This record gives sequence, C-alpha cells and structure tokens, in this order.
Amino acid sequence: MRFAAFLLVPLALSAQTLQEAENLHRNHDDKGAGHVFEQLLKADPKNATYRVRYADLLYQDFNVSDADKLYQEALQLDPKNARAYLGEARILADEFNPKANELLAKALENDPKLYEAHELMARAALEDDDTKKADAEADAALAIQADAVDAIAVKASIDLLADKQSPWVAKIGNRGKGYETIAHFFMINRRYEDSIAYLRKAVAATPDLWNAHSELGIDLMRLGREGEARQELEKAYSQPFHDSVTANALTLIDSYKKFTTFETPTTALRLNKKEADVLRPYFQEEMLRSMATYEKKYKYKLSKPVQVEVYPDHEDFAVRTQGLPGLGALGVTFDNYIAMDSPSGRPPGEFHWASTLWHEMSHVYVIAMTNDRVPRWFTEGLAVHEETAASPDWGDRLSPEIIAAIRDKKLLSIAEIDRGFVHPTYQAQVIVSYFQAGKICDYIVARWGDQKILDMIHEFARNRPTVDVIKEQLGLDPATFDKDFLAMIDKEYGKTVAGFADWTKQVRELNQLSKDGKTDEIITKGRAIEGVYPDFVEVGNVYTFVAEACLKKGDKACAIEEWGHYSKIGGRDPEIMKKYAKLLDEAGKKKEAAAALERLNFIFPVDTELHERLGALLLDTGDAKGAVREYQALVAMHPIDAAGSHYNLARAYKAAGQKDQAREEAVTALESAPNYKPAQKLLLEVSE
Amino acid sequence: MLAVSAATPAFSATYILTVAGLGGEPDYDQRFTLLANDTDKILRAGGQTDRVVETLKGADATKAKMEASLNRIASQAKPQDAFVLMMIGHGTFDGQEYKFNLPGPDISGTELAALLNKIPAGRQLVVDMTSCSGGVAALLKKDNRTVITATKSGTEKNAVVFSRYWVDALRDAAADTDKNETISALEAFQYAERKTTQFYSEQKRLATEHPQIDDQQRAASFPLLKFGQAAAVANDPAKKDLLAKRDDIENKIDALKYNKSLMAPDDYRKQLTQLMLDLSKAQAEIDK
Repeated sequence: MRFAAFLLVPLALSAQTLQEAENLHRNHDDKGAGHVFEQLLKADPKNATYRVRYADLLYQDFNVSDADKLYQEALQLDPKNARAYLGEARILADEFNPKANELLAKALENDPKLYEAHELMARAALEDDDTKKADAEADAALAIQADAVDAIAVKASIDLLADKQSPWVAKIGNRGKGYETIAHFFMINRRYEDSIAYLRKAVAATPDLWNAHSELGIDLMRLGREGEARQELEKAYSQPFHDSVTANALTLIDSYKKFTTFETPTTALRLNKKEADVLRPYFQEEMLRSMATYEKKYKYKLSKPVQVEVYPDHEDFAVRTQGLPGLGALGVTFDNYIAMDSPSGRPPGEFHWASTLWHEMSHVYVIAMTNDRVPRWFTEGLAVHEETAASPDWGDRLSPEIIAAIRDKKLLSIAEIDRGFVHPTYQAQVIVSYFQAGKICDYIVARWGDQKILDMIHEFARNRPTVDVIKEQLGLDPATFDKDFLAMIDKEYGKTVAGFADWTKQVRELNQLSKDGKTDEIITKGRAIEGVYPDFVEVGNVYTFVAEACLKKGDKACAIEEWGHYSKIGGRDPEIMKKYAKLLDEAGKKKEAAAALERLNFIFPVDTELHERLGALLLDTGDAKGAVREYQALVAMHPIDAAGSHYNLARAYKAAGQKDQAREEAVTALESAPNYKPAQKLLLEVSE
Repeated sequence: MLAVSAATPAFSATYILTVAGLGGEPDYDQRFTLLANDTDKILRAGGQTDRVVETLKGADATKAKMEASLNRIASQAKPQDAFVLMMIGHGTFDGQEYKFNLPGPDISGTELAALLNKIPAGRQLVVDMTSCSGGVAALLKKDNRTVITATKSGTEKNAVVFSRYWVDALRDAAADTDKNETISALEAFQYAERKTTQFYSEQKRLATEHPQIDDQQRAASFPLLKFGQAAAVANDPAKKDLLAKRDDIENKIDALKYNKSLMAPDDYRKQLTQLMLDLSKAQAEIDK
C-alpha cells in the first residue's frame, strides 16, 4: 500500500498541474500556462505528453520553432505519440509541405480515433483541389467526432467553391474557426472578396479569434483597403502573442508614406519616392501597352483601374505574399492589385520586371473574366505564355532543373498539375509546374489557336473542372492530351535533355580552355555545343565563352554574332549587353546598339550608364523623343555628373524641338557648373 | 616593372608615386597591376611636363624600392611642389599597426608616415586604396596632407573595389562635376565613393568598405588631373577686360546662389537664367 501511495502522489500532482496549465491557457493567460508547463517539464523531463501539450500552446502562440522542437523531443521519448505527429504535421501543412500527410498517416496508425488528423488530411486534399479525397477524409473525421468543426468547414468549402449552397455552413454555428477555414480555401483560390466575407463571419462569431482578425487585415490589405486592414491587424497585434505576419503587414502599411501613387483613368502606379521619377515612364508605358494588348486579345475591358505596387525592398514585397502557396517570388496579383519587386530590389540581370508585369497583368484579366474561378495551372500557364508572346526574349528560359524533370518524367498529368503549385513534392516542382503550364498554353495556342484559350477562359468562368474543359474544348480525353503534349515536349527539348550531361562536361572543358587562353579551340568547341542547350544564358554561358575568345583574337564581328544569339535568346546580364552594344556602336550599327540597350530598360533600368549611353545613341539615330526619355531617367537618378546629364537632356529637348525645356535644362546644368562651355553654347543657341 | 618619367622639373611640379602591392593570388596580382598600369598611362597622357610620375608594380613593388622612391622624392621635391601617393592592393591591421602588403617584407604605417614626413612638398595627397586602410589614416594625418582611405577603419578587411573606381574617376570626364577641366582630389573621391556604394547596393551585398577623406575643403583645391586649355586663356593679356567681366558675372552668380533659399523660386530662376546668358556671352567673346 505504501508503494502504491508513493506512485499515486506524483501522478495526481501532475494531472492537477497539467489541468492548471490548460485552464490558464483557456483563460488567455498563456504566460502563466507556459510557466506551469516549464515547471512540469522540470519535474518530469521524460514526459512526452507535457511536451506535446506545451508545444500545442506554443504553436497557438505563433512560437513555431519552439513548438517544433518540443514535438520532436516528444517523439524521441515516445515514438508512438500520435498528437506529436499531428503537431508536426500541422507545422508542415502551414507551409504547404506535402510531407504533412506522411506524419498524419503515422498519427492515425498510432491513434485511429484522432479525428484532427483526418481533418488536416481533408484540408490538404482540398488545397490540391482533390474534392473526393477531401470529402472522404472529412467524413472520416465526422464519423469519429460528429461536430468536428474543420471537417464540417471542409465539406462546406467543397460546396461553396463549386458555387453551391451548402447545408454544412449552418452546422458551423457560432464557431469562428469553421468560417476561418472556409476563408482559407477562398483565399488560396484567389477569391479574396469571399475570403473577407467569411473572415468577417469568423470574427463576428468568435471575437477573440485573433488569427482571423490578422488574416482579415491581410486580405483587406491585398485589395487596397488599408484603413480597415490596419484596424484588424492592430487588433491582432495588440494581443500578448501575435505572429510575424501581422507585425510585418503593419510595418508595410506604415511604409506606404514612403511611396507615391500616379493615377490615370485606368491605372494606379505606386512607386517608392526614391525611384519614382526613374521608373514611372517605363512602368506606365508597359502597363498601358499590356492592357491594350490583353483588351484586344481577350476581348475584355476591365471595369476597375489596375493598381501596380513596386517594392524596392524585397522584404516589403515578401510581406504581400505571406501565407500564399507557390513561389510568389517576383510578383503577385490580388484581383486588380499587382504587387511586385522593383528592378532595384534584385541584383542586375536577375529579374525581368516587364516580363513579370505582363505576367501579372494577364492574371488581372483572367481573374476578372472568370470571377476568380480559374484553376491555378491555367492562369499561371497563360501568364507564362503571355510573357514570351509579348517578346520571345522575355519569360524564363529552360533551366537545368526543368531538363532534369523532363528527363526523369516528373511532369504531372493535366488532371493533377495544380498539385505541383500548391504541394510540391520536390525542390524545383513549383518552377517546373510554371514551365509546364506555360508550355501547355503554348501548345494549345499552336495547335488550336488563340481563340481556344479564350473559349477555355469562358468555360472556367462557369466553374468547370480542368478535365471537363479539356475534353469539351480540345476534344481530347486528358490522357490523350498528356500523350500529345509530351510528344511536343520531346520534339522541342528532346535534343537538349538527351545531350545535357555531355553538354555540362563540354562546358567544363570550355572553362578550362578559357583559362588556358586557347581561343581557337573555344570558338570551335563552343559553336559545336551551342545548339545542344541554346536556352542557357546564365553565368558560364557558351555564347560568352565564344564571344570573349573572338575578342581576344580581335574578331569583333564574331563576338557581335555570338552576343547577338545571347541577346535574342534572352540573355540578361547588363554587363554583357553593354559590351555587345558597344561593339555594335563601334561597328557603326547604332540602331542595333540602341535596341540592345533598350532591352536592358526592361531588366535593370536603375543604371546611369545605361541611360547615358542609350540617350546618346538615340540622339545620334534621330530618336529625340527616346533620347529625352533616357536623359530624363538619367537626371532622375541624380548622377555624379549632374551638369553633364542636364546638358544632355537639354540637347535632346533641342533636337525634339522643345526649346523652352532645352533652355531650362541648360540653365540647370550651368547652375552646378557655370563654366561648362558646351552648356553655355547651347543656352545661347536656344535663347536666340 | 618600374616606370619613372625622367624629368626633374625646374618649376612647381607634382610628384606622383603609384604602388600596386602584393595580390597574394594571380587574380589579384593581375588586377592590381592592371590598375597601376592604367593609372600610369592616364597620368602620362598629354605629355605634361609638370608631373614626375613613378609606378611600382609586380615584383618591383618591394619595400626597399618604395622606400627608395619616397626618399628620392624627398630629396627632389620643394615646398612649392605637390606630392601624390596612391597605394593599390591589400593591407592588414592587427589592432595596432597597419601594414601595406608588398612582395617580401611589408611596409608598416609607422614606417610609411616617417618616409612621407620627410617629403617637403607643400601640398600632399595620400590615397591608400587597400583593405584595412582606415587603420592608418590617423597616423598619416598632417596639416598639409589630404588622406583618403578605402575603408573607414582597420577592421574592414575584405578586398576593396574603391581602387577600381578611383582609377575610373581619373579617366571619366563625368568626374569633373564643375566642368572646369580639372579633376580635383575631392571630385575623384566623390566619384569613387559613390560608385563603390552603388556597387554594393546593386549587388545586394553588405558594404565591407566605407571610403573616408579627412579634409574635403583641402581636397577640393587639390588638382589631381588637368585637361583642356583653360589655363592658357587665363594668361592672355588681350582678354583681360573680358576676363574681368566674366569674373564679375561669376561673382554675381555665386551671390545669387548663396541667396537662393531666401528668394522666391521664380525670381531666382529668372535671375539665374539672365546671369547664365550673360556669362555664356562673355565666355563666347573670350573664346573668339
């Protein structure tokens, strides 16, 4: 008896204290609860349950890294702890990591009654648009726990996403969490207005559901309603625990005072004040050009102006993509709002901003035309297609990761392709999915014409699933479509895929030959392998090896030819492009030199040398208007040679017949350099 | 390689010594030598006889040869002369002593200061474009000497890009921001500093060098490189009245600019435009 009593005392103490911790948590005293958990762990360090419960608390308080650590420790202590698997799965699921499902399977293996695991599986399946599996998993959860709110919300979401009334919505009752889950599905399907509506329901039902306040704030911010967004975000932020997403979003809203917005009847362009004068003409022109193109192509006129926000600080842009699946690395569209990196936010040559702008603008049209009812693969694929349709050298080139995916037969079937965007199963799958979706649209246009794309948009607007649209619009069953599409891929890229391994070896040899200064061999070998993988224009590209070897031999024509291929295929290194333009200029091909530099305006326009050289070339070739634009950009960048840049702008104005502006610029040049003779001469000329 | 212009000028002269130190690896050796060669070429262009240009690079850039060159300049230069030392390469700083890395023994900051202090030239400019160069700035400081360093302290140890842009400044007319056909030490510094900042900003890299200058005013009046023919015209007695008229207008422009903040923008602009027209006409007369 004494022995039994000895055992019972600590157990009773533990049970009481664990309950105390959880009571404190229920009463919103998470600091107090955390303290009790710390004491519990100190007293009983080998208790896996304490670790899991404490981790659950930390997870809810947005301390994901500590929660993750505790779940893992719990699994080391108790490898069969189902709730620890569930906790780990929840963390992975938040990042759209498909490995979550493996952990959920383990959780259910160890506790078949753990209905939350079925709920999370249902959620992941619906994120993949796999409604059948989502429904089955939700049913499995409800069979164990009839009022499982997330399972009910998944079933409601399946109906609502299909534009059907759902009897499941009423079953959520006053549980805000359920509405928050529905809002999540609307959000990842880019139906932000619907998401906002359900988040409003969530916070009305459960006012202290702070996460929902934060999500509501972010959705509102996405659609430009910054005043209300701030209110919701501040509610979430005022709590003792808040996530970094909330804090970052508030910081971003605060930073908008550093931005300025330029409006036209159909556009709004928000630029950081420090680069607004430089970027505005280029962005404005491409916004209007892309909208005119799409309006004609898609036979659709937008009913609202499009707002484009351009962030020089990538971290600010990253705030706009928080919580979204996929890459979202360059630009993102929320209905008629586009947020994107500024060219100044990335190293020169890494980012083609105009291509990104056209990509995002395509989303604006497709989303508007389908009322947000379009599968991810189609809107992304069409946007990728439009990049190269705008100009063949835009868009992304075939990368080694994509070659590997084609070689390893990792391209997904048309029926499953959306999964590659939301829950990638390998490192490069999102990039591969963008490529594949783009190529599918290229293929449809090539085989059936542009009108077929338009017909598909209209079908998707009716909320039709991909498989049905493919069957009806293309007259092919999905399997046949996949077969035909892969045959096209093989025809277009088979040579590159088959020759890639050898090409890699040969490029290494080229590198060595370059170090050894063997120019003739570089030219011969380089030209022999260029055609194997023509799309490779990154650092270490064959064109540059050959061009540099040509220059060493003094053969400028040969270098021009090589860098001509490089430029045409889409090479983007500003230094190479400037060298190429210089060679063209020296060869008397001033128009071609100007064209080469004009490509750089779409890549890295925050470059004084570019505008100075391009301005001079345009002036030489009689394009005074273009020269004015370039020298205006130069002046806006406040170059070291302020007097020289104002003088050049004055020259361009004079050439364009704008004498008054020419005089003003000449005076401005002389203000900083009164003895600047060319400016004095020009001032006299335009003042006569 | 050692390159010295043989002339020992009879009148006021500028002695310029450029030293490209040890690269430590072929890439850096090649880069430093190239910068030294370019500097040498720029300084010798135009056949100006008031410059004594000397360049030490590669295996010749030893401590002994650097000491010999500085001692030679110390023996030849006069108080009315100017002296420029440009150092390209790697430096080290152990918390107390700066060293300029050379083939063989390095030269320390203390040794360098002692050698420089023997040079009687009345106007001096030292441009230390090595890593850690900020660590020697205080030691080299002197009333008649402008000291420019590529880094703000001895702890900025990474190889620098400032030297590349300093040499660019010497050959880029854009560095002559006041268009007086002379690149001053300050203009060259501002050009190179801005390009250096731009380099790190564009490459999205944390800046590991922060160029410093100890006296901007003195640097502004230190002509590093002259080009054009402004000086010849200034000495023509036939243009005396016109030059006086131009000087008068220039003074008026200076006065107007000084009062800019107190004036209505339109009024300022109107007066500025008129004065610039007057100045342009006066200059056109001078140039006839």
